[in-house]
Amino acid sequence: MATVADWGPASCPWKTPMADVAMQSPAVKAPTARARTLRGDAGIAWLLTLPAILAYCAMILLPLLAVLALAFTDYEFGARSFRWIGFGNFADMLGDRSFSASIRNTVIYCLFVAPLSIGIALGLAVLIEAGARGRAFWRAVFFLPVVSLTVAMATAWQYLLHPSIGPVNALLRMVGAGTPNWLGSSDWVIVSLGFIGVWENVGFNLVLFLAGLTAIPRELYAASEIDGARSGWSKFWLVTWPMLGPTMLFVIIITMTRSIRVFDTVQTLTQGGPNNASEVLLRTIYQEGFHYFRFGYSAAITLVFLVIVLGLMLIQTRLIDRRVHYG
Amino acid sequence: MQSRPLILDLPRLALLSLAAFVVLAPYIWMVAVSVKPQDEVFKASLSLIPQKWALVENYGKVLATIPIWTYIVNGLIVCFGILFFQILFAVPAAYALAKLNFRGRELVFGFVMLGLLVPYQTTALPLYLGIHQLGLLNSYTALIAPFTCSVFAIFLFRQFFRAIPDDLINAARIDGMGEFSIVWRVVLPNALPAATAFAIFSVVAHWNDLFWPLIVIQKGDLYTPAMGILAFRSVEAGEDYGALMAAALLVTAPLVLAFLLAQRRFIEGITMTGLKG
Amino acid sequence: MSGIVLHDIQKSFGATKVLRGVSLSVAQGEFLSLVGPSGCGKTTLMRIIAGLEAVSSGAVQIAGRDVTALRAADRDVAMVFQNYALYPHLTVRQNIGVPLMMRRLSAAERIPFIGGLLPGVAEKQRTINADVANAAEMLGIGKLMDRKPAQLSGGQRQRVALGRAIVRHPMAFLMDEPLSNLDAALRVTTRSEIVALHRRVGASTVYVTHDQSEAMTMSDRVAVMMDGLILQVGTPEDIYTNPQDLRVAAFIGSPSINMLAAEVAPDGHVTVGPVPVGVGASGHGPAILAIRPEDIAPHATGIAARIEHQEYLGESLLVHARVLDSGEQVICRLPPEKRRQVARGETVHLRPDPAKALLFDGDGRRLGSRVLSLEDAHG
Repeated sequence: MATVADWGPASCPWKTPMADVAMQSPAVKAPTARARTLRGDAGIAWLLTLPAILAYCAMILLPLLAVLALAFTDYEFGARSFRWIGFGNFADMLGDRSFSASIRNTVIYCLFVAPLSIGIALGLAVLIEAGARGRAFWRAVFFLPVVSLTVAMATAWQYLLHPSIGPVNALLRMVGAGTPNWLGSSDWVIVSLGFIGVWENVGFNLVLFLAGLTAIPRELYAASEIDGARSGWSKFWLVTWPMLGPTMLFVIIITMTRSIRVFDTVQTLTQGGPNNASEVLLRTIYQEGFHYFRFGYSAAITLVFLVIVLGLMLIQTRLIDRRVHYG
Repeated sequence: MQSRPLILDLPRLALLSLAAFVVLAPYIWMVAVSVKPQDEVFKASLSLIPQKWALVENYGKVLATIPIWTYIVNGLIVCFGILFFQILFAVPAAYALAKLNFRGRELVFGFVMLGLLVPYQTTALPLYLGIHQLGLLNSYTALIAPFTCSVFAIFLFRQFFRAIPDDLINAARIDGMGEFSIVWRVVLPNALPAATAFAIFSVVAHWNDLFWPLIVIQKGDLYTPAMGILAFRSVEAGEDYGALMAAALLVTAPLVLAFLLAQRRFIEGITMTGLKG
Repeated sequence: MSGIVLHDIQKSFGATKVLRGVSLSVAQGEFLSLVGPSGCGKTTLMRIIAGLEAVSSGAVQIAGRDVTALRAADRDVAMVFQNYALYPHLTVRQNIGVPLMMRRLSAAERIPFIGGLLPGVAEKQRTINADVANAAEMLGIGKLMDRKPAQLSGGQRQRVALGRAIVRHPMAFLMDEPLSNLDAALRVTTRSEIVALHRRVGASTVYVTHDQSEAMTMSDRVAVMMDGLILQVGTPEDIYTNPQDLRVAAFIGSPSINMLAAEVAPDGHVTVGPVPVGVGASGHGPAILAIRPEDIAPHATGIAARIEHQEYLGESLLVHARVLDSGEQVICRLPPEKRRQVARGETVHLRPDPAKALLFDGDGRRLGSRVLSLEDAHG
């Protein structure tokens, strides 16, 4: 499977198991028999890995364990002591209106961003692939948001969506449509943020789809034509869609894990408002932890966040193992 | 099929152009508004060209109000500092995991895979506590240290190093190189595409990051570009769009320009490595 | 009624002319091979017949119908691709059934799950399955029906590709180097299977290959292509014994035909160096005498050559010799028992069989020639 066909031979001196790189399959590969067991190997190997191991323990492993522990305490930053409260924090979540708003909004955001950004990206990729003109140009244009500073671009969107002076509403006024307060009304705010999220993610997905499309052998399209697929539509369903299967699954999971981590736009544009209507998971973690300094509670929410992310990854590896490998 | 006449290609091009316009809209208005005087901005016209140019006023105001160059320099220091340590730590470890046989290798690699599953936001609380304990809040260290161990870099480099022929490494050993020289003089140069891709991915990710700097930095002179924009918004109460767009443009420009100069490399780097975003 | 007729096909990709006026007709039920070196345009020509490529000019007829403007789907041809082009996500059964499904079911009826509920679809599906089973039976792949292409060997995939082609009884069969991905042993057995299959199915077949032995062994007729032109069309025997172009003579046959610089004297006698070879031609001037290895042998008199090397092949003996006057290399195919009669370094006199000698002019065009008795030449 080649999600990244761009990674051509020119840039890859030896055949690399790209599938592993691109799919990040957490299944630990069987050790390759590299039968070079000289006595010096182990010592030098540990020496080489030592800096990484130390940094790993300090920056990832210990903090991870600490979060696990914190989640079961009532620790508040600056407090001299704390108590173990078991699942108290998780029980609190059930009654916390801002937390439930946060979960709900995050889910809505993901369910808005993922299908739209995937569908639009697939459509655009097929359109780009259908002709020869300006391939690199389109790709660059749609990819631009991925490399742009989110905070800055969110500010630009804020202007575009401004209820009174924004060009979007100026346009709507011209055609006589309603002019919502995009980021200011609790009805529209999550849709507006979702739209910006789609804008941010389309280019990324598009590039993955383009790579998937170029990896489809031309001969299959020729064969489908001989077999009687007359329209682009039937060729799409006979060849393109099934051949994109592996890419599609990958894109879905990537987009979900990316959009569940939405933070920058919310923090910049709405601060979760109005009235918690755009409160999202990461911002709740940030707010509870670094605003109210309720570290225990924030750690518990962090665990919920972690479990969701891990769940998505689990689905991914399960499905990859089972279905989408055509060989 | 390749050379379809232009006329038949028009519907396709029209659709793509429409989508491109939507994608480019914020950039277009960012540039336009950044040279418009405030009264014109408030007229809410759709025109892009200002009647009176306010380039000097808007950009002058940005430069006068916030030390934007300092933010950009901070961004560069942080990004390249992180990258430096990530490479320094990950490359030797990846080499050992890929090419050396030692007891515990599978265990180490297992931990690498575990690390891949954990978004960095998860560990923010304890890291903050630790950095606070050490009195390192508001420092470059606070911005750089948490990202020095990139499991993703280890994973990626390991995949690439595995593809390097053993004979090449054995030849280097016979030529008298030690393992350290092999890592830096033979293995890394041969994995330069992977290193470039990772470098681009890492720089883009940390240049754009807001979550972590927001947590550990309160002092203005250590703001990263993303934080600088946030600060400027609050100073300006957010309504002087001309200056705001000018500031946004200034901090967006470096990466966008780099992207336009090396599109292929950027796209390769970010999509290949983009699973850790 | 003719199977496939090509009329003055031209094709350019940008400034490159790939086909420079190709006309060809393939009779109903005929097996014709297009053979030529890589890059000669044979695959492009096949894709044009299939409708996968548009012509720059010219016309294509299949079964008496002008299909030049029709797309592949509407031409009623089947094609076997070099890499088989099986749909990796479909089982063998589904792969073979695709052409029937695309033709017999409407777009709505093809929709997964829902389509099956429409009236009449189940019945159509049954006939499709029956036809697929027939085709699979014919190819001996009945047991593989539920596998996916990734689970098949090269030879099995090849059969599935053939099955997908024959299942709908097309007007014409196109095969693009279908054997090139098989190992040598399998290639030889599959050759005869394809020929047998062709006899059963009986559709006009165009078979593209760069392998002259495939072309010679399988075909009713062979078309030799070079540089975007068909140089000659004929039965394998005709192509071998009576090539009309020096390039055809040189391309067909292994080892290659011998070529000797010759001279046509004003009286019409052909000589190689000073030696008359018993061949007469009209006109005079330099020419090329081409002679198959089996048609030249040591003799009491003839072209003096030194033996450099010999290869014993069991059923024959190849003797490599170098002509003393010109330094040209000649290969003779001799009966194996001659092995002891010729030795390396020995000088022999080679005499081409005048009845088999082929004469070409400087541009490689065949010249008419006749057998003269050598006595006449001396007289």
